[in-house]
Amino acid sequence: MTESAQTGRSCPGVFARAWAKAVSGTSYLPMTQAQLEATLHDLTGRLAEAFLAEPFDQRIGQQVGGELVAAHIASAEGLGRTVEVIQLRLVRDLGLVTDDADDRMARLLATVATGYARALRDRTLDEQEAIRRAAMVARAHAERALRDSEARFRYQANHDPLTGLPNRTLLTERLAAAIARPGDGADRVGVCVLDLDRFKVVNDSLGHQIGDLLLITVGERLRRSVGEHLVARLGADEFAILVERTGRTEDVIRVAEAALAAVCEPAVVAGHELTVSASIGIVEQPVRGTTPGELMRAAGSTLHWAKAAGGARWSVFDAERNQRELDRYALSAAIPAALERGEFLLDYQPLTALADGTMRGMEALVRWRHPERGLLRPDAFIGLAEETGQIVPLGGWVLAEACRQARDWPAGRGGAPFVSVNLAVQQVRRPGLVDEVGELLRRTGLPPERLQLEITESTMMSTVEEPVRALRVLADRGVRIAIDDFGTGYCNLAYLRGLPVTELKVAGEFVSGLRAPADDPAGRTDERILASLVSLAHALDVTVTAEGVETAEQADRLRAMGCDAAQGWYFGRPGPAEQHLGRSPALTGTTA
Amino acid sequence: MQRPDWAPDTIDIERPSVARMYDYYLGGSHNFAPDRAAARAMMTAVPDAPLMAQANRAFLRRVVQFLAESGVRQFLDIGSGIPTVGNVHEIAQRVAPDSRVVYVDVDPVAVAHSREILDGNDRAAVIQEDLRRPEAILGHPEVTRLLDFSQPVAVMVVAVLHFIAPEDRPELILGRLRDALAPGSYLTLSQASDEGRGGTGERAEAERVYRRTDSQLWIRGRAELVDLFAGFELVEPGVVWVPQWRPESPESAEDAERSVFMGGVGRVGD
Repeated sequence: MTESAQTGRSCPGVFARAWAKAVSGTSYLPMTQAQLEATLHDLTGRLAEAFLAEPFDQRIGQQVGGELVAAHIASAEGLGRTVEVIQLRLVRDLGLVTDDADDRMARLLATVATGYARALRDRTLDEQEAIRRAAMVARAHAERALRDSEARFRYQANHDPLTGLPNRTLLTERLAAAIARPGDGADRVGVCVLDLDRFKVVNDSLGHQIGDLLLITVGERLRRSVGEHLVARLGADEFAILVERTGRTEDVIRVAEAALAAVCEPAVVAGHELTVSASIGIVEQPVRGTTPGELMRAAGSTLHWAKAAGGARWSVFDAERNQRELDRYALSAAIPAALERGEFLLDYQPLTALADGTMRGMEALVRWRHPERGLLRPDAFIGLAEETGQIVPLGGWVLAEACRQARDWPAGRGGAPFVSVNLAVQQVRRPGLVDEVGELLRRTGLPPERLQLEITESTMMSTVEEPVRALRVLADRGVRIAIDDFGTGYCNLAYLRGLPVTELKVAGEFVSGLRAPADDPAGRTDERILASLVSLAHALDVTVTAEGVETAEQADRLRAMGCDAAQGWYFGRPGPAEQHLGRSPALTGTTA
Repeated sequence: MQRPDWAPDTIDIERPSVARMYDYYLGGSHNFAPDRAAARAMMTAVPDAPLMAQANRAFLRRVVQFLAESGVRQFLDIGSGIPTVGNVHEIAQRVAPDSRVVYVDVDPVAVAHSREILDGNDRAAVIQEDLRRPEAILGHPEVTRLLDFSQPVAVMVVAVLHFIAPEDRPELILGRLRDALAPGSYLTLSQASDEGRGGTGERAEAERVYRRTDSQLWIRGRAELVDLFAGFELVEPGVVWVPQWRPESPESAEDAERSVFMGGVGRVGD
């Protein structure tokens, strides 16, 4: 610093204030006016230092420029105003005296502008880099979130939300994978389908919340009891266990037994001690030539066998049994179409008065002329139709057809025979029975007394009030009501009192006893039972027909004990109505 | 800028972001070309746009200074945007180093950038949330970790409300926030206003520019803003043009309506 560079009148505060005024509003300054002035006051001293430095030090001016940017006085306008203020006022306000003032001022401004521009450029680059990095991070984050949500979605799609177990989808996938990769000890596979016995009772009595908690407990126990095997919840109270790489069926049975034992342990659920049992259907077979769907179906139907056998047990799939059931099912499913195509027909078997050999009536017996399986007797399809509910349309057809045909039967010596039609329990329970029969009689013109409805003892036993009322209405109109197979059920006599039964049909078992020699004790017992039934029935004003009469001797003995009528091969085998209608009333069976 | 194929659609940097436009108005470089293009379009329609942003930012600074000096130690800054300069935690922690601040923004890039800035500051955090979901904000783990709602909290909703449509029911959103606040807490609001400026055409043009961005603009008058302080006692001088709110010098409040922003501070009574 030279002598001549001594400062004279120095007012750095005045300069700093003017500088602050010049730059305020050029960009956002995150500070108060006072803080701004203080900052610039500080820099003013540095400018003076740079201006007077000997030799000239360009670093000071550059630092001042950089610090302006660091203080956020960072815009093109901010630099312009700063240059202007320094040029116009620095020397004057600070009283700076030097002999090469113009030269020094030019160099000072150059260094401040250089430092400023460099700092602004660096800051811009830093900020750009920061925001790019932030954008990348945000993108990566969003991508991860997307992947997470996909993983979550996939998990949800493959798992049961209640128990957290794999669901049917995942089980099917794993099963398909097991089937697709046979070999290396993985030639066979096993599946258990498990269902809780009477789970509905828990739900109904304790509520779904307790039911759900029980399912969670069962799921947890299954998972623990079967080791590494996959446990899935198929829905409701149905679970499945996939046993891969089995050697033989016993391998799966062991797993099933462990599962049953685990489920049967009493469980305390929300304060309720619950004891449940389960049934399991097991299928175990070579993977070659099968599909997941086939295996699951097999395990499912096997589960029903275990259920039907009383539950709390496992059953192993049996292909032959399954085939039989499938055939039966197929037969049942074919009934509606067979009705449409008119594949059913009626045969009749006469009910003959023992006293005079006249035909009192004929029982309608349905046959199915099956296009592939030939003529089917009722025992091939009626039981099945009762199980599946197809008995309702089929029985309805039989009833209508029998009424239609019976209308035209000619009157014989004892008047026109009645037609006797079997009614299944589902038909009796239908609310529209009275109307259906009434409409039939009206349409066909068949007098009510020429229709007999045969109802089994068990149907009567299981029939509640409303259907009984319906039968009473029909009886009041003159329709005959017969109890079929009497003596094979509970022989509850209460309904004989409560119902207008017109006839008892005594089951063939009792009649076959009559074939035995007269001194056989068993035969004598049957004879006494029959005699008692006849006298009981007559006391109640009910007629008795004996079924299954095959010999003249049986007919004689029945006649002797006062039995009213008989049915059986001795009096005529089932056949077309015409076959019976044309025959002489004096039958071979009449020996008197 | 070419967006890589793996970038999910949720980060759309081709579309102007209001947070990055605001940064540009403030002189920052935390912005992309589409942000700058939209900001320049806005400045053509409304030449004072950068002034608005600066005035609003200065309002925020004075308010935080005022609140910190009044003893508030907890801040919830909703719609914090890109941390540029003079952020709430810097101002508050300069007054009281134990001040705790949670930033909230809906813009994922703003949040990612804030997170980087706040790295190492265990008294400040940022979450990605939407003002329209006050329950999610109040229940967020970072919010409950840093802020104690049994003590006064200053909720800042600065330069955000004009992105909330009337059908989003801003009064219910603010009411829900108010219900969470202890006595002695504060609410700060500011938003673009056309008070006394109606019919200049600027409003329509500004709204048109912002339709290109991720946020539509909804301008409100002073009375509407006063109504949004329901349940709070307005601190002097009430709802004013932001430069008029406790100015540092009389001249800094001159031409206050050029700032376009109106704002105020309300206090939850004891």
